[in-house]
Amino acid sequence: MKLNEITGVKKVVTGNHAVSYGVLLARAQVIAAYPITPQTQIVELLSEFCATGLLKAKFIKVESEHSAMAACVGASISGVRAFTATSAQGLALMHEMLHWAVGARLPIVVANVNRAMGPGWSVWTDQNDSLSQRDVGMIQLYCESNQEVLDTTIQSFKIAEKVLLPVMVILDAFVLSHTSEPVDIPTLEEVDAFLPPYQPRHYLDINNPQAFGGLTSPDHYYEIRMKIEIAHQEALKVAKKVDEEFKERFGRGYGLIEPYYCDDAKVILVTSGTITGTAREVIDEERRKGRKVGLLKIRLFRPTPKDEIKEVLLRADKIAVIDRNISFGHSGIFAQEIKSIFYNAYRKPPIFDFIIGLGGRDVRSEDIKEIIDYVFKKDYPTEDAIFKGVRL
Amino acid sequence: MLRNFKEMRIEDYPVCAISLDTTLLNKTGTWRIFRPVYENKIPPCRDACPAGEDIQKYIYLSQKGNYEEGYQTILKNNPFPSITGRVCFHPCEDACNRREYDEPIAIHHIERFLGDYGLEKVEKKNPTRRKAETEKKVAVIGSGPAGLSFAYYLAQEGFGVTILEKESLPGGLLRTGIPAYRLPKEVLDKEIRKLEKLGVKFITNTTFPKNLSLSDLKTKYHILFFGTGAQKERKLEVPNEDADGVLEGISFLKIANLGKRIKIGKKVLVIGGGNTAVDCARVVKRLGKDVTILYRRTKEEMPASPEEIEGAEEEGIKIFYLVAPVKVLISRQRKVKGLECIRMKLGTPDSSGRRRPIPIKGSNFTLPADTIIKAIGESVELEILPKEIERTNWGIKTDSTGMTNLKNILAGGDCVTGPQTVVKAIASGRRAAERVLWEMKNKELPKEEKKEIVSFARLNTFYFEKRPRVKMSKIPLRERKTFKEINLGYNEEELLIETERCFSCGICNQCDNCYIFCPDLAVKKKEDGYKFDYDYCKGCGVCAQECPRYAITMYPEGEL
Repeated sequence: MKLNEITGVKKVVTGNHAVSYGVLLARAQVIAAYPITPQTQIVELLSEFCATGLLKAKFIKVESEHSAMAACVGASISGVRAFTATSAQGLALMHEMLHWAVGARLPIVVANVNRAMGPGWSVWTDQNDSLSQRDVGMIQLYCESNQEVLDTTIQSFKIAEKVLLPVMVILDAFVLSHTSEPVDIPTLEEVDAFLPPYQPRHYLDINNPQAFGGLTSPDHYYEIRMKIEIAHQEALKVAKKVDEEFKERFGRGYGLIEPYYCDDAKVILVTSGTITGTAREVIDEERRKGRKVGLLKIRLFRPTPKDEIKEVLLRADKIAVIDRNISFGHSGIFAQEIKSIFYNAYRKPPIFDFIIGLGGRDVRSEDIKEIIDYVFKKDYPTEDAIFKGVRL
Repeated sequence: MLRNFKEMRIEDYPVCAISLDTTLLNKTGTWRIFRPVYENKIPPCRDACPAGEDIQKYIYLSQKGNYEEGYQTILKNNPFPSITGRVCFHPCEDACNRREYDEPIAIHHIERFLGDYGLEKVEKKNPTRRKAETEKKVAVIGSGPAGLSFAYYLAQEGFGVTILEKESLPGGLLRTGIPAYRLPKEVLDKEIRKLEKLGVKFITNTTFPKNLSLSDLKTKYHILFFGTGAQKERKLEVPNEDADGVLEGISFLKIANLGKRIKIGKKVLVIGGGNTAVDCARVVKRLGKDVTILYRRTKEEMPASPEEIEGAEEEGIKIFYLVAPVKVLISRQRKVKGLECIRMKLGTPDSSGRRRPIPIKGSNFTLPADTIIKAIGESVELEILPKEIERTNWGIKTDSTGMTNLKNILAGGDCVTGPQTVVKAIASGRRAAERVLWEMKNKELPKEEKKEIVSFARLNTFYFEKRPRVKMSKIPLRERKTFKEINLGYNEEELLIETERCFSCGICNQCDNCYIFCPDLAVKKKEDGYKFDYDYCKGCGVCAQECPRYAITMYPEGEL
């Protein structure tokens, strides 16, 4: 493997390897991970990069995902750029340490391959693993394509280090992780120019010994927590700026959300992940038929770009949220989020929630077409969530 | 410093919870309810050793290759490691915690190595260790292990010691009772030479009280020590016991071991199950005769040491169990021609705790023999002892230090206890010497340590690999026709492998486990061990848990 052969070229790579290339180009300094399908290839390739010396990083083998994140926390607090990748149960096991990374304000980047939670055991995609971590305080970015995966990985380090929050880059199991697409891989020089070395603002310094994350009394805790919330507000601006800067340098940008044929749409679908790609095709077809339907892709889930979302969706008569996840006993999680944005709005378009594709069941263009047909026919939703495709 | 928190605004705070000072500010020692304490305890080997040898210490020193200090360590409790390293029945190894794990440490092999190293390397360095005779004159009656030990410790302190021995050479039972294939005469001579170097005088061929009476001795010497042993062979109490061809085990061994000619027949029976019996049989075998041991119980109850029994079996000596003599069969010239025996079975345990042998009626049978050696036990020759001396049913009465009822007269070894072991005799000699030093030189008597004896359950064996005990090399069977020593001794490599097996029960050997595991960095390394920093030690007990050898004790705070 030579650097000039694998970078600065267009390569056909899987989503997993797109993450690996992103981490290579971002010059991560510590990688600690525990293998889990469908993530393993990410760290496999990274370990090769480390072994061959292409990436000057410490690759730490650990005994669990909890330890993987703990090692990243340790590395990051010592002032270096740290990365890990995981999926499903692995992310769940990491949970406690995710709080640690957020609370200690450590800019660690985590790639999570969306895989359905077991049991029953599944290796296929849905979003319940990452959405279960919604409230830990990490930034979450959902990707649609392998190119976006690579670009988002690079962007993530920059966002994370600017606002001192850990970032989760999320890609669908198999649909992206194991599917190859042509991907533009930038050169190291280009990425270096975009992403400077990490300059820690607080870190373990033996010349100034201090303890991190110690006991914090009720007199102080809230203020420090408030700083996390402020950082999230800041992250909205930073993520947007970073994406714009990226676009300037590399010619590719994604926005925090991406409206597609939304200007005059009567119905707007809300999607995330790879369902977006399928939905685009359906929208194109419906538009050719003259149906006024649009699509809003949510890329940045946390912090939520509420104003941008509201601005786009207020144009529509009706909204259909497609959720590849479920909050049992309530409804789809994206739908809840979108509904909450509109509660205080001057106009509240009806919001339909479709739960679909759990555990990696294919979401076909026919399914999306049926959703559009259904929403056009109905004036308002008669139920909180419509379980699309389930054999009742 | 901290301002009133109500004045603090978000911008006054660091990005996350960061301490204003180092963690040393937080003296976590106040959380402690249990206090770890470095506290060496008593390893079971040392507890079991009648001489109280500091076994762990000399094994530790051996691991480091410091054989000289190891040798000197033994000498503090036992002046003759080359002897006990060969002949001791090593109760230390029975007590060794390693027995519960794989096999006990071969302590006596290690002791022998150090003893031999001392004789070869250390003793030769100092041609004389003679002290100026500043103290009173001492006479020792009997040059067995008790007397030699007593003499050694007093000569070291400047006493003028004279040892009286009835035989032509000193050593007592060590010379006359233990065959050279177990304890070569050269080794014994070298050990005795240590005393000569200290200025101890030997007067041999002098029998008490025939040649020298108590009053003779009292006029010449200030202190007397009786170490006359227990050499009277017990009687079989069967008809014709006095026939020509019936020998006493102790006398037989004495003649054989002193290298004198001895008349025995072609078919020899040895009666008894102790070490004397087995020694007799192995000597007979070396003299080229057919020999059988008869023992009235089973192998399990046999008092001889297992190594000796095993050696005898290896050499082809037959042992008949559950057989007792009934009558010596004799010719018209009163010469032995056989032994009538009876078979036994085991009944209920007797006072010794062993099951009592009971004759099976009508099971009599005869064995042909031309020599019968009786070795069923010895007793003290009470008749040679001065009348004034107070006695027990079996020997001289003394207090725990060896002092008799008579002023400045002490006793030790088998003549006090009845037939016992070399190491017990050595220990009694040392204790008597300590008593003298206390009386004459005001030296404090060593106190018995009231420390916990470490049991196997107290150890954390996670840190020890299972490894077999290093076997002692022996000369091949075909070479066992002479009195050449059987055991060849450890070489340095074997010694190292064996010593590294030691758990070092209850005694810190600076393995660093506590230092490595302490989550609060509260274990500080010192030159000779570790110290707890109680300002920060939370008393979590990880150190004590991870100490492989129970050298750390956890005490409820305030109890110490």
